[in-house]
Amino acid sequence: MAIQSQGFGQSTHAEKRSWFRRNRDLSKFVLAKLGGGVLTLLFVVIFNFFLFRMMPGDPVGLYNRGRNQDPVQLAKLRAALNRPIWDQFVTYMRNPFAETIDSTRFSRPVWGLIGDRLWPTVLLVGTAIVLASIIGVWIGIRAGWTPGGRFDRISTGFTLILYSMPEFWLGLVLLIVFAVGAFGIPGLFPTGGMISPGLSGGSLRGVLDTGWHLALPCLTLTLVYLAEYSLIMRASVVDELGQDYLTTARAKGLLDSDVRRRHAVPNALLPTMTLIFMNLGFVVGGAITVETVYSWPGLGLLSYDAIKGPDIPLLQAAFLLFSFAVIIANVTADLLYAYLDPRVRP
Amino acid sequence: MTVALPRTRRKAQARRLSMLLGGVLTLAMAPLAASADSGSPAPTGSASAAADTFTIGTTTDVDSLNPFTGIDANAYEIYQLEYPTLTEYAAKDFTTVPGLATSWTESPDHTTWTYKLRDGVKWSDGQPLTSADVVYSFERVLNGQYEQTNYSAYTNDIASVSAPDATTVVFTVKRPSPIMLHLYVYILPKHIWKDISETQVKSYTNEPTPGSPTVGAGAYTVVERQTGQFVRLVANPNYYGGMPRVKNLVFRIYNNPDALGQALKKGEVDYADSLDTNVYNSLANVPGVTRVAATYSGFDEFAFNTGAALKDGTAIGNGNPALKNASFRRAVSWGVDRKTLLERVFNGYGSVGDSIIPPIYQSLHWTPTADELIGYDPVKAGQLLDAAGYKLGTNNLRTTPAGTPLSLRLLGRSDSASSTKAIQYLQGYLTQIGISSTVKLVASDALTEIIGQGNYDIFEWGWVIEPDPNYQLSTFTCGKRSYKDAGQVYADLSDSFYCNPAYDQLFAEQSGITDPVARAVIVKQMQALLYQDSPYIVYANYDDNFAYRSDRWTGFIPQPEQNGVYLFQYGTWSYSSLRPVSAAAVANSGMNLGLVGGGAVLAVLVVGGIVVLGRRRKTATSQDRE
Repeated sequence: MAIQSQGFGQSTHAEKRSWFRRNRDLSKFVLAKLGGGVLTLLFVVIFNFFLFRMMPGDPVGLYNRGRNQDPVQLAKLRAALNRPIWDQFVTYMRNPFAETIDSTRFSRPVWGLIGDRLWPTVLLVGTAIVLASIIGVWIGIRAGWTPGGRFDRISTGFTLILYSMPEFWLGLVLLIVFAVGAFGIPGLFPTGGMISPGLSGGSLRGVLDTGWHLALPCLTLTLVYLAEYSLIMRASVVDELGQDYLTTARAKGLLDSDVRRRHAVPNALLPTMTLIFMNLGFVVGGAITVETVYSWPGLGLLSYDAIKGPDIPLLQAAFLLFSFAVIIANVTADLLYAYLDPRVRP
Repeated sequence: MTVALPRTRRKAQARRLSMLLGGVLTLAMAPLAASADSGSPAPTGSASAAADTFTIGTTTDVDSLNPFTGIDANAYEIYQLEYPTLTEYAAKDFTTVPGLATSWTESPDHTTWTYKLRDGVKWSDGQPLTSADVVYSFERVLNGQYEQTNYSAYTNDIASVSAPDATTVVFTVKRPSPIMLHLYVYILPKHIWKDISETQVKSYTNEPTPGSPTVGAGAYTVVERQTGQFVRLVANPNYYGGMPRVKNLVFRIYNNPDALGQALKKGEVDYADSLDTNVYNSLANVPGVTRVAATYSGFDEFAFNTGAALKDGTAIGNGNPALKNASFRRAVSWGVDRKTLLERVFNGYGSVGDSIIPPIYQSLHWTPTADELIGYDPVKAGQLLDAAGYKLGTNNLRTTPAGTPLSLRLLGRSDSASSTKAIQYLQGYLTQIGISSTVKLVASDALTEIIGQGNYDIFEWGWVIEPDPNYQLSTFTCGKRSYKDAGQVYADLSDSFYCNPAYDQLFAEQSGITDPVARAVIVKQMQALLYQDSPYIVYANYDDNFAYRSDRWTGFIPQPEQNGVYLFQYGTWSYSSLRPVSAAAVANSGMNLGLVGGGAVLAVLVVGGIVVLGRRRKTATSQDRE
């Protein structure tokens, strides 16, 4: 970035010393941020344990629903679950990610289940966030540069309408129009799932087939997310409009598009960057409604099913994963922010 | 099956829950859906269009492919496609017919049963299937603690099992047992399962890996599973019933009932199972689609707290004492309009309920005579209440014989649209006969707990009943009331706390009669007793609504013969006879939209990338000029 790289061309002795000092301050800053992150993680791990033990319900009853268990066996299972809470806590803290924890509904290790669903969710929500941020930022820049102009009015109105639409409703409309076919448009896309039976995800056909399945759910999410990025980007571009440095840039004789791209945008991009990184943390959380409409086998859906149970081991693991992702993304955003914006840096 | 409870409650729950969401969506989508192009053939990208693939859309995933672990109804559909059982239930009327065993005899002293197996049966991998596999499968259940959980209902009476020769299996039983006619224990290949220890079996998924399908002896074997998406099976060439005509069978999971309806319209699935009324109605007049409202083995009821107690008779809970009185319950029953309930709650899809064994099981179902029938007559209900001492007060509400106010607590399931409706209707009917009540909606799981503790007066729920009546009848025995363990009260099967020594006596008697006709006589007596004592008001036998592409497929065998279900039966009758209407009906345009669509998505990304790169280059030159 332009601002950051200034002053390193011919460094004097004094500058070098201050560079070292600044570097020491910087590592202190980084350590503080990382330390804060680790503390939050620790809090979440502990809180997570107690949260799910306060939920009502009889997990053993759920596990044995309709099965012919004799009362002696049931009592044994209950005894295992009714161990003193402190005892359970120690076992849990020894390894919160233990592979031996089984889901009550699926009778499979929870981390295996989550692993199966992680990739589809990251693919869907990740692609949508990337697309939405690229397109949204582009719209925001265009709209903010000439606020009140025709492009601004149309794009702001349009993205706001999309933003306020319920995801499942928009998803279903797109499904009926583009998957089943309506108004003369043929049904080009599949109604659900992620890959056709009989295809391997590793083959070229499998990859193309997954892209084909991905198109509609990804489009739905992208359309809904657009406004978030375009509006924030628009606001920060508008903020920069009257700034002196832009006048200077124009005085240098730069083209209007160059003034915008090289001077206004880098400064206006900061709040949006934060937003993008915060949202990346939510990628693993999935998008329950869109995953439901398009039967996308993601994590959002898995955790929704787990809540219905309640499948406590699965919920516990899913919540751990979600919180970890958000905390890690936030710490990354903090650090990146310091890199992008020298004012935040010590 | 052992899994009567989950089949019931799970299936019913999922169906009704989605109804809630479905209602909103269908309303919102109606104009769009109506204009949707419905008759277009499916692309080959979805496997369903291929002439050799039949795709079934369902709204629940298979919880496990391991028959010792799975509980959901879909899982059992796959087990019975994969693994044989000794006997099967006839498609016509649920009578016992040969399965893997061609004949069976009970010794005159009722102590041993001998089954003759088919000759020359092979597993899908070519290994011979012999009596050793049968003995292995049963011993695995008899000796395994975990293995027993799903199947002990069939093996509780079995003392030992042996194989005198390769095609004969002999069971010795502890007591005469009619369940020996319905041994629904799946026969597993010993050469595969012997390597899976009792500790490993709990986490064994029994899923195929590429190139190695699971080994079975049923009509199909599983070749592919994508959790949350689909299960694919291929026809077993070694199936003793003859290789099915349709090569591939795909169970596709739709998390959203509306999307499932749309997929059927489009032809991406060939059969849509257990549809919500909204979706079912939206499929009317769709060319090529036939809808069926089939008789089903489920009923919904209002259940009374007839005096909550533990097995040992210790009273628990806080049920209203008025409900202990059978004539009070009968009076309430006279005040309930079952016909209107069926119409309003189930849109008329079903029949008015009476007994706890539904009419689908003709040989076991008991029908009240005109004299015995409890119909809808609020005036008579009022007279009966007056006679029992519950007189109308000044405010048109009845009081207890002691003169204190009478009010009942009604519980419905918040996650079921039908339950929510039905319980509110009941409140109306009670008001009509002068009984005040309060309605509370709770989640199904919470309701199970409330019932187990006996803290309710009346609740609404339902059951799905298997062809063998034992399980359902047992839910009204004294021994199935709640029990105490380490100071805590837990629910057992009884949810009305009905306890009648005469009923228990009949229950014990029927569970030892191996002649189906003689047994049915007692089973009917028990139903008559329950009808009179009214621990339940069985108000509706609801239908199973499904739809399929009749322009492509034919050859389904309903179970039972009269208006029965086509798939998800007790048996796999339709799968063997299913066939395309004609080769042309399932042929398609030949264009592979999967590839085209995927290619298009890829092309958009590539072109987008080039445009962005191009723009970068352009700006780079303007930078140079700067």
